[in-house]
Amino acid sequence: MSTVLIMRRIVSDQRVVLTTLTVGLFIYFGLKNSAFFSTDFVIYPLLRDGAVLTVIGLAQLCALSVGHLNLAVGRMAAVAALASGAAYQYWHLSLIPGLLIGLCVGGALGFVAGLIIVKSQVNAFIVTLAMDFALLGFVTFVYVTFTGATAAFITKPKGMEFWRNTSLHQYCIGGVCGPKVFPMMLVPAIVALILVGFLYAKTRLGRELLSTGSNLRAAKLSGIPVDYRVIMAHTFSGLLAALAGVMLAFTNGSFTASIGSQFMLPSFLGPVLGGTLLVGGSVQVLGTFIGTMLTLVIRQGLSVQGIGLETLNIALGLVLLTALSLGQIQKMFTTIRMRGQT
Amino acid sequence: MSTELRVEKVSKSFPGVNALNEVNLTLKGGSVHALLGENGAGKSTLIKIITGVYRADSGSLKTNGEEKFFESPVEATHAGIAVVHQERNLIPEFSIEENITLHNPPTRLGIVDQSERTRMAKEALQTLGFEIDLQERVKNLSVAQMQLVEIAKALVTHAKIILLDEPTASITNAETVKLFKVIKNLKDSGSAILFVSHKLEEVYEICDTVTVLRDGESILQSQPLENYKQSEVVDAMVGRHLTDRKVELREVNRNVMPVLELVDVQTALGHEKISFSLYPGEILGMYGLVGAGRSELARSVLGLHKITSGEVKLNGQVVHIKTLRDALHIHHIGYVTENRKEEGLFLTFPVRKNISITVLSRILQKLGIISFQKEDAISSKYVERLGIKVVDNNQLAGTLSGGNQQKVSVAKWLAAETNILIIDEPTVGVDVRTKASFHELIIELANTGLSIILISSDLPEMITIADRILVMRDYELVDNIHNIKDYPTISRAVMTAIHPV
Ligand SMILES: Nc1ncnc2c1ncn2[C@@H]1O[C@H](COP(=O)(O)OP(=O)(O)OP(=O)(O)O)[C@@H](O)[C@H]1O
Ligand SMILES: [Mg+2]
Repeated sequence: MSTVLIMRRIVSDQRVVLTTLTVGLFIYFGLKNSAFFSTDFVIYPLLRDGAVLTVIGLAQLCALSVGHLNLAVGRMAAVAALASGAAYQYWHLSLIPGLLIGLCVGGALGFVAGLIIVKSQVNAFIVTLAMDFALLGFVTFVYVTFTGATAAFITKPKGMEFWRNTSLHQYCIGGVCGPKVFPMMLVPAIVALILVGFLYAKTRLGRELLSTGSNLRAAKLSGIPVDYRVIMAHTFSGLLAALAGVMLAFTNGSFTASIGSQFMLPSFLGPVLGGTLLVGGSVQVLGTFIGTMLTLVIRQGLSVQGIGLETLNIALGLVLLTALSLGQIQKMFTTIRMRGQT
Repeated sequence: MSTELRVEKVSKSFPGVNALNEVNLTLKGGSVHALLGENGAGKSTLIKIITGVYRADSGSLKTNGEEKFFESPVEATHAGIAVVHQERNLIPEFSIEENITLHNPPTRLGIVDQSERTRMAKEALQTLGFEIDLQERVKNLSVAQMQLVEIAKALVTHAKIILLDEPTASITNAETVKLFKVIKNLKDSGSAILFVSHKLEEVYEICDTVTVLRDGESILQSQPLENYKQSEVVDAMVGRHLTDRKVELREVNRNVMPVLELVDVQTALGHEKISFSLYPGEILGMYGLVGAGRSELARSVLGLHKITSGEVKLNGQVVHIKTLRDALHIHHIGYVTENRKEEGLFLTFPVRKNISITVLSRILQKLGIISFQKEDAISSKYVERLGIKVVDNNQLAGTLSGGNQQKVSVAKWLAAETNILIIDEPTVGVDVRTKASFHELIIELANTGLSIILISSDLPEMITIADRILVMRDYELVDNIHNIKDYPTISRAVMTAIHPV
């Protein structure tokens, strides 16, 4: 391969474009207002939020990989957080067992969603939307019934403070300590990125999930158990949504009904900006992280400029639309054209 | 002035390939022009440039004297150009008549005129001698039926310039004969027709002039076809002299237990009393007209449709195959679909992943990790063996030429190493040279003990490689011909079985 070709490939790689854009915007905002470079007040929280939203993006990515949507990511996260919160409050479980209970609940919810989709042959869009409504009612009911006026589980398991407030700064090897801006919350996000990335890039299972999303009939005729794969994709989606939910609860310091209510839009923005196809069959795991960080930098950058909430949302929407139309829309069109007529 | 379309010095490149390089082509009213070339030579790309699907990098297009490229397919349609693309472009959820009149539905007072629409669609289909319920949804049709609908869709526009990209690829001789009658009528009424095909007998039957493309260059430019012998045209396409292979008779031992046996099978789709045996290492052909029920029978055996009575035996054991997955993993039967775009390929996957999808279990390392090295080795082997034209193994399947996509969808099953392989129309749209190496490969696989059921509408192909030919008509088996590989004798026998007197 010639250098020109390699260069062209690098430049046309959406991840490179996105990273450049993210870093560029970050520097731009910082130059306009040096407060933006503040480690404690901007960068650390930004990365911590980024960790949570990356995981929810991965949850959506799993559903997208088989060409489905999961509109219930937010509520699955809420129910899982509720389960963990209850486990800490009532059963006095320690950090990890409580977390595991949340993950199991999330995985189970995803499994049920997948099962319903496969058995009923109803579109994932409808099933997960319905599930979202049902769970919303359930979550509110449980919090109100069990916690009364506080409407939150507030027991903090041992170690929670450490995860929500500290950074890699705490860890030193031979006198060299980790960077202060690196929130501990990033650790589970990175683990999730590695596992999901490994799944889709290297394993047979990942390949089968993607082929199911790429062409369901061809996958079926190639002997792939497409129904199981669909259920699995939704199970993974629920599992990751649960992780994001518990991570957010840790960040907030309490388990409340509002966890996950802001998850839906970011869950799509990260993967889609990162280059994951909405129609299935192609995912970008690392792109999900970069896409998520881009949206956060824009949001945070504009709010540091002192822009009001409404204007901020409009601006955010516009920037996203532009970014989308440059990369994703173009990509989607080529795929559709390819599918349409070769 | 008479109809004329002139392409001059048109070039087009895609990442990694020069698909067309200063190509010239002239179509004249009252004449049929053949556009020939191997898979990936650039034929479809040229047609897409003429019709405004792709934009040329350079060159010019002159239609009836007016020099300009069309910006979009709609513009080309308005300029009086009708096209049948190589891939189907029908809307599956729409009815046949809605699809046929899609570009320009007849209206009255701004509302679609239903009865006029039915009339138009009926007329177009009648000229093709194709009878079917016009309200049927296109998604329920077979590949060949869709092809006919697509042709009708082009005819209904009454265009003066008609571009046909492999219109006969998936239909049988009988339908082709009718199509040729229509083409002759159009030609006599002054239309200019471009005809792409890999079946040279057809080309000689219908075409007047010829352009041959090789790797995007025009090797022969708008020459009278009668000046060239068939072998000369092939040599021009291939770029070297291609020798005819001799056809050999194979010995199949039929004194052993058949690997697959059907006894009085009746299906939900309407097959009656189907009985036949497939022996180890045998290549069993199944021939019949469009709609005879061959693919449907294969799919029923594989559990995609219900078998209502009778027995299916594998190695003497009665089995009930429920899903394709069972067919593949428990019974080791593979099925190469005739419908490559909808069922055969993952267009968003590179060639490498398309070929390896059936062999994943064989190329695993620990923890379910795919060995990319083995994956690459297997896919490279078949890319080379079938002469799949790719930039590299990582080229997306969706960006391959039609014939090369076909090769990929067959390759993955040849790689699968099953005991029985049911191959449905394997060489649709595949060029002469590859067809030959494909036939060699099939025979080689059969020699190693693989049993093959070959469904093909290509009679010469059938006679070249099948050991026996089952003839099917209206969902019944009507003949079982021992193939002595003598074309005149066998083709007569097959035709008599199809059209009894
Ligand atoms: N969208 C695309 N992107 C990249 N390469 C393409 C694209 N479309 C076509 N090509 C390449 O251009 C070349 C010419 O393809 P084309 O489809 O014109 O071949 P063809 O002559 O029609 O072959 P066939 O007989 O197989 O239909 C091929 O090498 C193909 O891989
Ligand atoms: Mg073509």
